[in-house]
Amino acid sequence: MTSPVVELRDVGVRIGDVPVLRNLDLTVGAGEAVGLHGANGSGKSTLLRVLATLAVPSAGRGRVLGADLASGERFAVRPRIGLVGHEPGLYPELTLAENLGFVARVRGVPAAAAAAALEQVGLARASHRRAAACSHGMQRRAEFARVLLADPDLLLLDEAHAGLDPAAADLVALLTKRARDRGGAAVLVSHDQSRVADVVDRSYELAGGRLAPVSG
Amino acid sequence: MTNRRLWELAAVGTLAVALAAALAVPPEQTQGDVARMLFVHVPSIWLAYVAFVVTLVGSAAYLVTRRLKWDRLAGASAEVGVFMTGAAILMGMIWAKPTWGVYWTWDPRLVLTAVLFFVYLGYLALRRAIPDRVLRARRAAVFGILAIVQIPIVHFSVVWWRTLHQRSSIVRPDSLQLDPPFQAAMWMAVVAFTVVYVVLVARRMELSRLEERIEDALAAEERALAGDAVAAPRLDPVPVTAGGDDE
Amino acid sequence: MSGFWRQAAAVARRDLTGEVRTGEVLLVTAPFGAIALLLIPMAVGTDAPLLARIGPGMYWVVVLLFGVLVALRRSAAEGRPQRELVGLLGLDPAARFAGQALANGALLAVFAAVLGPVAVALYDPALRGWEWVPLLMPLTVAGLALLATVAGWLTAALDSGPTLVPLLVAPLAVPLLLGATQVLEGLRLGEPILGWLMLLVAVDLALAVAGVLGARPLEEAAR
Repeated sequence: MTSPVVELRDVGVRIGDVPVLRNLDLTVGAGEAVGLHGANGSGKSTLLRVLATLAVPSAGRGRVLGADLASGERFAVRPRIGLVGHEPGLYPELTLAENLGFVARVRGVPAAAAAAALEQVGLARASHRRAAACSHGMQRRAEFARVLLADPDLLLLDEAHAGLDPAAADLVALLTKRARDRGGAAVLVSHDQSRVADVVDRSYELAGGRLAPVSG
Repeated sequence: MTNRRLWELAAVGTLAVALAAALAVPPEQTQGDVARMLFVHVPSIWLAYVAFVVTLVGSAAYLVTRRLKWDRLAGASAEVGVFMTGAAILMGMIWAKPTWGVYWTWDPRLVLTAVLFFVYLGYLALRRAIPDRVLRARRAAVFGILAIVQIPIVHFSVVWWRTLHQRSSIVRPDSLQLDPPFQAAMWMAVVAFTVVYVVLVARRMELSRLEERIEDALAAEERALAGDAVAAPRLDPVPVTAGGDDE
Repeated sequence: MSGFWRQAAAVARRDLTGEVRTGEVLLVTAPFGAIALLLIPMAVGTDAPLLARIGPGMYWVVVLLFGVLVALRRSAAEGRPQRELVGLLGLDPAARFAGQALANGALLAVFAAVLGPVAVALYDPALRGWEWVPLLMPLTVAGLALLATVAGWLTAALDSGPTLVPLLVAPLAVPLLLGATQVLEGLRLGEPILGWLMLLVAVDLALAVAGVLGARPLEEAAR
């Protein structure tokens, strides 16, 4: 039995003095996908950042991809995590191709892979446009291209379907499937449970800083 | 033949005549051939002043009428003006070194010209920093007017400063005696540069207009739900073609 | 190319591409430096021998103080999403530091190169020994670039970051200022300059080592 990709036990996170998450448990096994829902301000994005090893829990224990979240181990697993956050992480003055090219070069991946990733998400003809000149939906797609380049073991999507037309929403399913097939996992945050339900194995509701399973 | 072609021909024609005159004039007694630089330097400065006054007019007209064409005039004229001021300063320095032994003097007019250059460079930088054309027009117009109001004050302060600290300076840009052939050639150069100025400003204004049309077209394309540039994603893996450099 | 230099080159390329698009250093920061050089004689007097004496010094002061603005340029600003992206890329912090320092250095070199002729025109200094400038310029500019990059890392993600950077850089730039001006002064007077050049080299090396070694602890402390 392979170890779980995500294992959070009794995790608490404070932002400043304010507790955002408390006594939170979550286990995501290899090959699984889970959905996270909750009202605005419930801490979904914070939880995602904890899973991305970008935020350190102030209480409890957590392991992501086998690395202890409280220790320096977490830096080593970062390249295996793919995060598409709430706001686009593109450099506004660079074109989509240049943005992807930067990621490819840093990861040591051939430049042609960046072009292929952009083509796969349907942005090949827009690749010469500055990121700032692209619509929000296009920027999201470009970020999916970035995740395709990275081929992560843990896929984290914040507001998975925001700004995407129905055709592009299939991309979410594709990325999730790829992560699962690799033996990794996916966590999709969405305020629209119905769109995510087909793609995930189970869903949770985040309220009061804790997770509760949601049926259906 | 269109109006525009006529003006462009006139520009080329008058420049050619002015060039011929500038070369035909006998070399100046004290300065020799270097004095021919003045045929470029003096008209450039003159046109630069004209250009900035036109920017003032355009700015004021925009604020009164709110018609963007005045803003385009103000911006285009400032661009040509900055270029001509820079060229004039550069020419002036090249002329000054063999003539006076220095690249620069602190004569009030030179200082004012340098200040003018930077003020309008700032004006252009401000324009460049504002993408929205209405906001840009309004703010640039306010700065354009503010700058012109400040220029006489700057000029006055610099003149006062120099009269207080004037040493027995041999170098005074006014001290040139121009004989009639020289003067005639100078006038031809001024006329030629004026025509060139008009052509450049008109072209630049048209460029602005076209740029705005492209912007509008792009915005309309973006508004369409699935623009041409955004295709449906492919759900089968795309083969990575090897070789070749990126972008 | 080894991983470190490949990543550093990727970062430098990203930074320089961004700046080429905005053009801020050439169109805004350099003119500001030029205006400073223009204002100084209006304040201290336009006596030609005086200006010739103070010219080189004023040039370096403007390059060092105003040059910090190059490191604070808009195209170098990173929001949280970009920082998080970079954090998850597996980018070696030392390589990131090196790439940023390289980009800062290249832009500072352009800045200093543009201001050079302006200073010569306005101050008319004695141009003796200026064949050493191609060596002196990179040494000084590299030191400033490294210093500004370190200061940027120390103030990353802080609201008051941009205001703090000049304050952190200026006092520590003293050896750079002294080295640069004393080399030119030494050339003018025919005095030895090797010591001052060595000082610049030492400062640059110390900053480079500190930056590269300190990059990982600084990055990990930030999250």
